Amino acid sequence: MDETAELAAFRAEVRDFALTHCPPEIRAVVAANGKLGRKHWAPWQRILHAHGWGAPSWPREYGGTGWDQRRRHIFDEVLAECDCPPQYHHGLRHIGPVLIEFGTAAQKARFLPGILNGEEWWCQGYSEPGAGSDLASLKTRAVRDGDDYVVNGQKLWTSHAHEADWMYTLVRTNTEVKRQEGITMLLIPLSTPGIRVREVRTIDSWHHVNEVFLEDVRVPAANRIGEENKGWTYGKFLLDRERLGGANVAPAFRFLERCRELVARQLAGPAHALKREQLEYRLLLAEAELRGARELGKAAVDAVMAGRPLGLMPSELKLSTADTVQRIGAIALDAVGERVATRFRPVDGSGPNAEVEDIEWVQNFMYLRAKTIFGGSNEVQKNVVAKQLFGM
Amino acid sequence: MAFEPKPMLPGDTFDAARRFAEASALKLARLHDPAARAAELATQWAAVLELGWAGTLVPEACGGAEGTLLDLAALAEGAGSAGLALPLAATCAVAPTLLAGQDALLADLAAGRLQPCIVLTGLSAEAGRLSGRAVGVETPPAPSHALVAAGEALYLLDLAGIGFTRHERIDGRLTLDLEVQGVPATLLHADAAALIRRARDLGALLTCVEAVAAMGTLIQQTIGYLLARQQFGAALASFQALRHRVAEMYVAYRNLTGLVQAALAEPSWQNIAFAKLRLGEAGRFVAEQAIQVHGGMGMTEELPASRLARRVLMAEFEYGDRHAQAARLLAA
Repeated sequence: MDETAELAAFRAEVRDFALTHCPPEIRAVVAANGKLGRKHWAPWQRILHAHGWGAPSWPREYGGTGWDQRRRHIFDEVLAECDCPPQYHHGLRHIGPVLIEFGTAAQKARFLPGILNGEEWWCQGYSEPGAGSDLASLKTRAVRDGDDYVVNGQKLWTSHAHEADWMYTLVRTNTEVKRQEGITMLLIPLSTPGIRVREVRTIDSWHHVNEVFLEDVRVPAANRIGEENKGWTYGKFLLDRERLGGANVAPAFRFLERCRELVARQLAGPAHALKREQLEYRLLLAEAELRGARELGKAAVDAVMAGRPLGLMPSELKLSTADTVQRIGAIALDAVGERVATRFRPVDGSGPNAEVEDIEWVQNFMYLRAKTIFGGSNEVQKNVVAKQLFGM
Repeated sequence: MAFEPKPMLPGDTFDAARRFAEASALKLARLHDPAARAAELATQWAAVLELGWAGTLVPEACGGAEGTLLDLAALAEGAGSAGLALPLAATCAVAPTLLAGQDALLADLAAGRLQPCIVLTGLSAEAGRLSGRAVGVETPPAPSHALVAAGEALYLLDLAGIGFTRHERIDGRLTLDLEVQGVPATLLHADAAALIRRARDLGALLTCVEAVAAMGTLIQQTIGYLLARQQFGAALASFQALRHRVAEMYVAYRNLTGLVQAALAEPSWQNIAFAKLRLGEAGRFVAEQAIQVHGGMGMTEELPASRLARRVLMAEFEYGDRHAQAARLLAA
């Protein structure tokens, strides 16, 4: 079989598996733009792992599939097309590869199996109240005391900390040197005394992010990744591996299709003709932009396959899709806002309409504001692009 | 190193077309009278025909080069990167597509004996005679004929003895206005609807190729200007508001490039319509912002960047603007 036929067969195999093995109730949450949590992801991860597909991006010797970048891309794309949840990334795509690259044998043996089978859940302790886009200014302190580090400080925007078991954490171990050179990466169990997780209430009414307070938290030095004060390197390694994350535009296309269905359903009939046509036109503009982004994504995968540098492609992809997805969310809001934004949070009573249909669209609109903020805000991405374009 | 656009279709064809278009732009920039520019364009068009560009898609048996769509696109990309003010898409893509199978006419086209403008709307036919008014039709400097789509039929109208008025478009290309009442024309195809749609789509695709190439150069020139221009004791390129604007222009350009490449790889009408739709948005944005960040200079006629911006603005209206493309896509 030639490569094209092989890839087509692979695509079909993944689709077949996804449609037969991903539980319908989980796919229904994705299809309804609902909020995904550990209770959806963990069983799905267990199913994928049992099939040998637990870790598409890991080498075979660590229980991964050993797939090349193109197959991984197809895998992610097909999962999205089938309304399967994307795999939970903090273990598989973030700390997993760091452990494989820099972890000790004991660390690999301890942590990789739980990531693979979905039994242990990770979150990322990077951002702080004073360190957002400028991450290197982080202040959470870790001081060596015998075989332990004693950690004091505060993390912020910690997604899924309320349902995670472990937090891979960047802490400051040296304040005397250049900011990037005094940072260490520690693996901290969230059950450790002195840790308090508090929900950050967000405008979408979903619980995803938290504040994590650390007060005299003792972390065994054995939980340190690599060397002390080299944490920035590991953190960057992690982010560099994630640079192709935006190449998969398939979830955005599904979102677009769902929005199109919503517009047709919500605005049927002659009374809504003008509004429906305007929204349909805006959807078409968004589709054109997503199609352009999809080509950029393909080019990025090709570049990786050919060993060429990605250059500005990750920023191009993020800037090309984040705004567009927000615009699709705004179209949906325009379609249902009058009916649903007016009934965002229940106050009391158990009368009619206790369950507000289509409320997820309003929540999504709010949630999607974050698209241009996290993972390098649009403004940071534009700085990156401009620096390259101007050569200064 | 500041930004340099990377061609989609690099190679000798691109380079040659680019050099030709750059030289052409330099000559035109010195001329202020539209009639003088039209005369200069006539000279340049004769050179284009001499180079055989009109025969790029024409079969070898008819004296053409029997090239592929990508060969022609490389030519259009090179020419577009310097905003060549001559009707490449119309003559090299639309005309040979409409004339498919008409070997004698194709031979005339390739040899430069047939120099048609393309009239897609405005004229109707009755008993082999054409009537109506067509305005703003892109044209070679001295058109010999008009290829006329009238309803679903395709006619060849000899322009000898037919009066018309020429104008310059906002991008410096020549157009003509034509009004006829019952003039005889040669019927080429009675049922040419599919052929006309295809020809129009290829025209739109080549227009996208030219425009995206022009946008690349436009962004390059904008960056060059911002690096050189000093205000408030600093290069304009140091101001974040302007840097971000240019980053936005670049991303719009790259996104459109993706769509155009997809349409070149698989030139279905949908792929072309999406590219053309996006050109309406992205091209307008890049052109407007290029003028804006050049400040007063952006308002001047002789600034190369403002000429390219006008070329990009104009491209929107060739072979179906964004609303026409949207209407098609929504109706499908």
